Amino acid sequence: MMTDQSMDPASHPLAMMSIPRQEWCEPYEWSTALEEGTIFPNLNLTFFKAPQGVPAKPPCSDTSDPGQKSREEALSRLTEISFALNDLTLYLDTHPACEHGLFLYHNLMEERLALLADYAKKYYPLTQASMITGNCNPQCYGWGDGPAPWEGACV
Amino acid sequence: MFAYEKRLQYPVKIKKTDPTAARLIISQYGGPDGELSASMRYLAQRYSMPVKKVGGLLTDIGVEELNHMEIICAMVYQLTRDLSEEDVKAAGFDAYYIDHTKALYPQAAAGVPFTALELQSKGDPFADLYEDLAAEQKARTVYDNLLRVIDDPDVRAPLKFLRAREIVHFQRFGEALEVTKERFEHSNFYFINPSFDHASKESRV
Repeated sequence: MMTDQSMDPASHPLAMMSIPRQEWCEPYEWSTALEEGTIFPNLNLTFFKAPQGVPAKPPCSDTSDPGQKSREEALSRLTEISFALNDLTLYLDTHPACEHGLFLYHNLMEERLALLADYAKKYYPLTQASMITGNCNPQCYGWGDGPAPWEGACV
Repeated sequence: MFAYEKRLQYPVKIKKTDPTAARLIISQYGGPDGELSASMRYLAQRYSMPVKKVGGLLTDIGVEELNHMEIICAMVYQLTRDLSEEDVKAAGFDAYYIDHTKALYPQAAAGVPFTALELQSKGDPFADLYEDLAAEQKARTVYDNLLRVIDDPDVRAPLKFLRAREIVHFQRFGEALEVTKERFEHSNFYFINPSFDHASKESRV
């Protein structure tokens, strides 16, 4: 019988599971990553009833109002960047020395903070800190502005 | 501490009322493999994890599960917000409606209320990590089952996203298991309980 070297009991003791460590791979575009639920193509293990790329896009309204459209685009971009950071955070929790991951983390976090400030300045604050970084009017308490997230609106 | 950000991790925009789908999806709010029990499980287990890095991972995944709970609740809410009396009677939503009207209440698809009996915090790193690995697999199966029976693309998009997260979390807990193994006795991992017998100050760093 052939012996599988990778399951040698010296390195893989009995009665204990082993799982391979994920290697870094080139991430998806951030919009695709959000759609697929991970930034990593090598972790995207789809189900036959929900194959890759289907449904094509997260749902968004078919508005013709240009102001509404730009608000929705700004929120979409923020959602994509923030999700990439969420997924990358879990990766770095178990790969804290990965240079690719660290470099990306800092770049994405800079973009996220800028997007949050911009969103607060143009529309309404999504975080309390962005009331300051977005230079919101200190005479107005803006934390209650904007729709509740569960309404599915972006007004 | 936790701070709120006024948006969903994945957008939910459902146009069509569907109390039947709501009745099924609510299981991922308060059901046995739901997001609430996932979050409570990880946030409870982190205190007694002997490897600090693993406690950090449990915190980050536990918080992400709260984000997922919010996505599930938004789905149930949007599927039922325009519910009429006729919808209530026609779609098998009547029993839920009698107790909760259109409010959100954590329960399983079959009506069993959320209970902490659905999760465990055992105080042994191997027992707890195996529980977490199993939890991610069970939740993935629920999303597989939902994706089989629900056709509306507005509902399927977030379900597909949430299913993918279960697999990523499974991989991370597997890596956490490897990190934990590296820290303890390789010839017999079960000789002591590292959370209890090694609970000295230096093992917590």
